[in-house]
Parts: sequence; structure tokens; C-alpha cells
Amino acid sequence: MEFSLSSFKYSDSLIVVLISICTAFLCEGISWILIYRTSSYKSLRSSIDKASKKLETMKTVVETTTKKTKTKKKIDRVESSLKESTRDLSLSKFKSGAVVAVVLFIVFGLLNSLFEGKSVAKLPFSPAALVQKMSHRGIPGDDVTDCSMAFLYFLCSISIRTNLQKFLGFSPPRGTANAGLFPMPDPKTN
Amino acid sequence: MKSVKSNQKQKQQQNNDDVSPFNFSKLLDPEASWDKDQLGDVLHWIRQSVGLICGLLWGSIPLVGAVWIVVFLALSSAIVYGYYAIVLKVDEEDFGGHGALLQEGLFASLTLFLLAWILVYSLAHF
Repeated sequence: MEFSLSSFKYSDSLIVVLISICTAFLCEGISWILIYRTSSYKSLRSSIDKASKKLETMKTVVETTTKKTKTKKKIDRVESSLKESTRDLSLSKFKSGAVVAVVLFIVFGLLNSLFEGKSVAKLPFSPAALVQKMSHRGIPGDDVTDCSMAFLYFLCSISIRTNLQKFLGFSPPRGTANAGLFPMPDPKTN
Repeated sequence: MKSVKSNQKQKQQQNNDDVSPFNFSKLLDPEASWDKDQLGDVLHWIRQSVGLICGLLWGSIPLVGAVWIVVFLALSSAIVYGYYAIVLKVDEEDFGGHGALLQEGLFASLTLFLLAWILVYSLAHF
């Protein structure tokens, strides 16, 4: 019994995923060469981690101690030092961020030229109107469950790159502003 | 200078001793002490695993309709909550509250779930 990718109607989705995986590894590789292996990044990262932990401890202490004014002043000093380190970390990632942005732009352009106007997958739900702008982008017809390359690539980018960064230990420290309900893959390496 | 450095090392050692290094036996041990980063990472990977499994399952059956996204969010949140509150019995106040713990890896797991669901549905049923 012969098996081939062409027997799947939506085999293009696998090509999009594969290219996304390769792009994720490439971007992280570029980021590692330009940022993560440098001593300045390592020391900044370490100081942010230490400052965050120190801040948490001090905030706990200020609730229990009577010397609140002194401790609060110390907290302010640590917080401003943390903000400075976070800003320096962001700046240090700027150069690599530009290179990665160019790579992503080229990859997106390539995928667009390959799959423009084609439905690469079928959505098992009808997306909201706002989501349809991306999920039905460039696809003829009114069937909103036809999925464009852009939406699938978006899902691949977020899920694969976030988890790859996490797995490799490259995700931003929790003490920085990049945490929250919708943490994206590190924007300076996007 | 040397005595200052050795004092700093001792303090660091004491801090490190308060939280045990990660090993898999900690995952089911309610007596284990957790670092915020360690617990956050574990909850992140639990969310991703639930997202992947649900996506593969929802796509295979298949389950169709946006309501299943809500079901997934509720289910994965319940699992994460059950894990840290009932299995590990951690005090959420020490880790930034329920919000901070429940949002660990939430968006990434949602996109991973959607990706798995869409792929399996598209490839297996058309």
C-alpha cells in the first residue's frame, strides 16, 4: 500500500510547519551566536535574576517589619537597578533582533509566494471576525473554515518558538516586562 | 577581600539550600520546596502537554466547534490548578497568586493546542 504526502488534501500544512520549525531553529541559532553566548548577556541575565529574587524577599520583609521606610527605600533602589538591567538586556538584543527580523521577513515572503490564495488547512471551528482577517487572508470564497498560510504560520511561530526558547533556556527572565498573560517569544529575537 | 567573597558564597549556599534542586521525584512531593522559576517551568510544560494531547485528541475524534476551545482552556486550567493546589499544596501567595500560576504557558499552550487540533483535523478527515 503506497503512502505519499500528496494523498493528503492539506499536505501543504505540513510544509508550513516544517519550514516554521527550521526557521525557529535558525533564529535561535542566530540569537545564540549574537547574544546568548556573550558574557555581557550572561552577566545581565544573572543580575536580573538576583535582583528579582532580592526584590521579592524584600517585599515580603516590608510587610512584616516595623522599619518600613528604610526597607521601602532599599526596594526602590533594587527596582530601579532591575529596570536598568532589563533595559540594558533589551538593548543588547537589538542587533540580533534586526537580523532575525530580516530572516523572518524573507521566510514569510517565501511562504506567501508558495501558498498565496491557497487554503493550507481546514479549521475545525468558525473563527471570530477579527481572526478571520488573518485566517481567511487571500483565500477566495466564503468558507471561513478555510485556513490561510498566514494564520497557520502565526500559530507555528508562537507555539514552536516559545517552547524552543523555553527548552533551550533562552526565554526572558520572569522579572522582566515580557511576562504576562500573553508572553510572546522574546521580541528582540523575533 | 577573600573573607568577603567567602561570606557571599556561604549566603548563596544558604539560599540555594532553601530550595532543593529540581528532580522528577519533586513533581509529586507535597513536602518539596519550590523556587518560583522551577514551579513556573513545571506548570508551563504541563500546560503544553495538555495542549498537545487535547489537540491530537480533539482532531482525531473529531470535535468541531469553537466551544471546544473554551473546554480546553477550562480543562487545562483545572489540571494546572489541581496540580499546584492539591498535589503540591503550594501557597499561591508565595508565587504571585493564582493569576500568576494559572497564566504560566497559557498563550503558548493555546496556540499549540490550536495547531495540533487543526493539523490532525485537516490531515485525518479530508
